[in-house]
Amino acid sequence: MLTERLITDVLLAALSTGGDFAEIFAEDTYNTAIRMIKGKVEEGVTGRDYGVGIRVFQGTKSVYAYTNDTARENLMKVAMEAAAALEGSHRVGSIVLARLAVEKFNPIVMEPGQVTQKEKVGVMRKAHEAASGYHEQISQVTVNYLDTDQNVLIANSEGLVAEDRRVRTRLSIHAVATKGAEKQSGFYGPGRHMGFEFFDKIDIEEYAAEAARIAVTMVNADYAPSGKYPVIIHNEFGGVIFHEACGHSLEATSVAKGASVFAGKLGQQVASELVTAVDDGTIPNAWGSQNIDDEGRKTQRNVLIENGVLKGYLIDKLNARRMGMEPTGNGRRQSYKFAPTSRMTNTFICAGESTVDEIISNTEYALFAKRMGGGSVNPATGEFNFAVSEGYLIRNGKIEKPVRGATLIGQGAQILQKIDMVASNLATGQGMCGSISGSIPTDVGQPTLRVSEITVGGRKEAD
Amino acid sequence: MKIREFKERVFAAGAKAGLKDMEIYVSRSQISTVRVFESEIDDYSVSDAGGVGFRARYGGKVGYSYVEALDEASVELLTSGAKANAQIIDSDDEVFFFGGSPSYPEVEAFNTKLKDVSTEERIEYAKKLEAAALEADSRVSMVNYAVTGVSEEEVYLANTKGLERSFVKNGAYSFVAAVIRDGEEVRTGGKLIFSNDWGKFDAEKQAREAVAEGVSLLKAQTVNSGNYRTLFRYDVAREILQTFASVFSAQQVQRGLSLLEGKLGRKIAVPQLTLVDDPLMPHGGASMPFDGEGVAAKTKNVIEQGHLKTFLHNLKTAKKDGLESTGNAHRFSFKSPIGIAPANFYIKPGGRSYTDLIADLDNGLIIIDVQGLHSGADPVSGDFSLGAYGYLVEKGRIARPVDQITVAGNFFELLETVEEIGSDLEFGAPGYGGQIGSPSLLVENMAIAGS
Repeated sequence: MLTERLITDVLLAALSTGGDFAEIFAEDTYNTAIRMIKGKVEEGVTGRDYGVGIRVFQGTKSVYAYTNDTARENLMKVAMEAAAALEGSHRVGSIVLARLAVEKFNPIVMEPGQVTQKEKVGVMRKAHEAASGYHEQISQVTVNYLDTDQNVLIANSEGLVAEDRRVRTRLSIHAVATKGAEKQSGFYGPGRHMGFEFFDKIDIEEYAAEAARIAVTMVNADYAPSGKYPVIIHNEFGGVIFHEACGHSLEATSVAKGASVFAGKLGQQVASELVTAVDDGTIPNAWGSQNIDDEGRKTQRNVLIENGVLKGYLIDKLNARRMGMEPTGNGRRQSYKFAPTSRMTNTFICAGESTVDEIISNTEYALFAKRMGGGSVNPATGEFNFAVSEGYLIRNGKIEKPVRGATLIGQGAQILQKIDMVASNLATGQGMCGSISGSIPTDVGQPTLRVSEITVGGRKEAD
Repeated sequence: MKIREFKERVFAAGAKAGLKDMEIYVSRSQISTVRVFESEIDDYSVSDAGGVGFRARYGGKVGYSYVEALDEASVELLTSGAKANAQIIDSDDEVFFFGGSPSYPEVEAFNTKLKDVSTEERIEYAKKLEAAALEADSRVSMVNYAVTGVSEEEVYLANTKGLERSFVKNGAYSFVAAVIRDGEEVRTGGKLIFSNDWGKFDAEKQAREAVAEGVSLLKAQTVNSGNYRTLFRYDVAREILQTFASVFSAQQVQRGLSLLEGKLGRKIAVPQLTLVDDPLMPHGGASMPFDGEGVAAKTKNVIEQGHLKTFLHNLKTAKKDGLESTGNAHRFSFKSPIGIAPANFYIKPGGRSYTDLIADLDNGLIIIDVQGLHSGADPVSGDFSLGAYGYLVEKGRIARPVDQITVAGNFFELLETVEEIGSDLEFGAPGYGGQIGSPSLLVENMAIAGS
């Protein structure tokens, strides 16, 4: 994308006012988005993101500038503008670039650019048929197809030059069920760091029918009782609770400045002994995997919590300086428009030893949160909020009835201590995670687990 | 390549490729932000970037494409991309390219004085925010955000029907968030200001308000589950309105995703409630003279004294309903197809001050913050169930802070159960879906889950 000569000149210009580290992130990305509503393609958009971001450090000060104009003259101007925010004199005299041999462990077979729009629509149509034909109460189905082919070049004043290609493919199904004046929706959105071959590897109709099944189940459900009681959180997307309530608080972005509840607690028991949690950016073709992170560092498997003991954080280059620790391959960003920071990749609680049946049959009264919606957290306090998109009431060891409208609230660190049963059925689900460096693909995951007590919000008083 | 030259090349290439109607939507922003931590610049960023969205008719259908680089390769990408995408469309909806309105309103959204605010002044402001927050209370352990930013955005819209219009706006924002520690207890308090009038920024006041909010929550406890009379403070009320704003979009109605379908002209809210969309508001965060299709913007009541007067339309949805566009065609960015969004969208203020409303509440809850709006609220059903913070009010006075509760209800029911509307209308930050404002709302009954 950029010649080595230009890279060196831009990096040196960025360092001309006393910066001690400079980095270039150049991106050329091709995107496709197609939307089908009620079986008809309503919108198709293809496009190309193209730009360069330049970052300069001076100690722990960070400056970031970006532009779409990658002509030499403009890049030199932008580098000087970034440098102008710092005060000092040139300390780095020369840069010798060396190419990083990037190990490509996320093989791409069918590049999105080689697949016609019609083939993409074909997959969407299959999903639409499966969801809309699921039940007569299904009144509306929206299917969204997305693919992205991101090509990046990352270079820095330490001499690194690395190039990577990230191809991601995702199909999401949103089904609405109607009963009288009431509407409820169900969602499923499988995705991978993979090309169009993804649809040969999964049965998209099964996912579409699931989205429809959730909508129909919920439109026929009663409201969930509110109050403080045990909650069984199912596997797969249920892991969003760990992602939001704990994962974000383990990011160096909040740890480095002491703003996290987990700051200064390495080696301490922070969770029930049943909990081991990992962030692993190296799982081949997983949604949140990358060959290298957006700072050009190889991704890795990071143990965050082991048998309840805090083992590590997710650390980017700038916060590594603040913390006096090594980066962990978690420097990520949505695009060249964002400076990278510590972010999750594929983050999950590891498998335990119980079975789902054991957990349910050993529970007298609980909410079974089978599908979670999204949630949010305040990283400083760890306080979270999640929507349950498919819930059931458990009574006397049996699933009694579906319930809707439940919200789980609490404090991440406290919930971790209250996990008292963990099943062996680890599975992951795909999400888009939003934070200061933009919206990025991440996998969440966990086995089915039980929390002895969570505040459940809902419209009905407990019975 | 300059934008007008680029446009000519694209239209020429498109005509050669057999494209019929063509339109480009260009937006370009210059943004500069600074964040201060421990009296030093922690993060400084500058950008000047944008892109071109293109749509064109081919074989009777309309496809979209976009690029960010204005070069020869992009001309080809735009035209071939839109052509390929037009060929997969099977919606029968009629799509329009608009030649222009007879006249356009004058809208003031650019404050030239904002250009005089130097980078140094903004850095000073952020430093002052941090210092003032630390000074405001001895329990402030850190200030995790002390940020200021300025932006300038230009939008240019031109098509082969002869439309060519542009518009410039600017704005500044500032955000401070403080962490308050008292023993083991941790609270946060934040305050955001958005305006293109730098005179409205007062660092000390902003910092004090952020800290006071966090401090006011110390020793908060839950309440017993049950139904409570509830006062939604203006900022919470507007967040709820923002979350459910899409129910007023004709697009959602026509897609069967709004429960307001078939309710036009009917009473859907209490009589004292009027909901306005005003794109012409001077210096409003979402003010604009024309919408995403080039239709002249205009002010309208969406709900007038409780009655649903209109949905928000673009040309396509208006045609389907046999109506005129309300000038609410919206492109979230140059990358997005034409959708619908409000501009400056707000509930008209009533006569009671916030303090009056607390007295009126008598016994109940004030909600000052909610969490999880993107997940715990469903615009399709109107249901919401949100983590919340606030105060318990007894005999018209704030008795104590409250946390670890959820407030649950339904947006449509809420509109019909508002008892009183405050005079304290305040707008939030302009986002991709307009700029939303609300006064505080006193509601007769909300389901609260606590202990």
